[in-house]
Amino acid sequence: MGCVSTLAHTVERSVLLAAPAQRVWDALTDASLLSEWLADEVQLEPWEGGEVVCRDEEGEERRGEVRLVEEAERIAFDWWREGEAPSRVELVIDAVGNETRVTVIESGAWPAASPTPALLAATWGARLRTLALALGRLVLA
Amino acid sequence: MSAPTAQPPSGDSADPAVDAVFAALADPTRRHLVELLAAAPGATATGLAATLPISRQAVAKHLATLDQAGLVHSRRNGRELRFELEPRPLTDAAAWIAAVGGEWDGRLERLRQLLER
Repeated sequence: MGCVSTLAHTVERSVLLAAPAQRVWDALTDASLLSEWLADEVQLEPWEGGEVVCRDEEGEERRGEVRLVEEAERIAFDWWREGEAPSRVELVIDAVGNETRVTVIESGAWPAASPTPALLAATWGARLRTLALALGRLVLA
Repeated sequence: MSAPTAQPPSGDSADPAVDAVFAALADPTRRHLVELLAAAPGATATGLAATLPISRQAVAKHLATLDQAGLVHSRRNGRELRFELEPRPLTDAAAWIAAVGGEWDGRLERLRQLLER
């Protein structure tokens, strides 16, 4: 289990899109396009330190900050609901033939309502993948 | 609005209790013990050892590690010490993983519809 420290507590999803990479990049970084899919209303300044605001029609709001922009390759931001710990979202683009894959990785904190203060107090990184793997088998099974 | 000062997740935990949880679950034998306890709450170290290729003493040692991490607790029943899973941290984590994954499934489907229409 020597590799445990390189793993993270994450959710990962990917989708293969029949669209050119540049168009996909626009959809990940242009606020009007982001408002079509990421949330109902999105403001995002696509540069490091840029502000992120996402609202959905139920009125739920997340705020955030852009942490990394590699043009046409990846964008990462932290976001959080008010009063909750932030989670990190990374969106990565890969060209696959004529298609484009988008991979999203969200690494985060437990919900603020969690009754486990020791876990809440944690910063989330490396060894949590171990927990997630255990959970996937134990609880979701 | 206090969140902007919060630090992003980092790779290190500063909390020894959390370290204990991860260290406990990093071991495949202990993960197996957790699975067994999920299936058979109230098992004894002797009963658990009967299903594993390790001694009762080794099982007891692993259970002590899980106990220290808060993942199991024991209760005395006459002369027997019975062990039960403490599933709450695991359930919370599973709920988080399911909720966040489900949200991204929905968003990526909308992204597909946006780009492929």
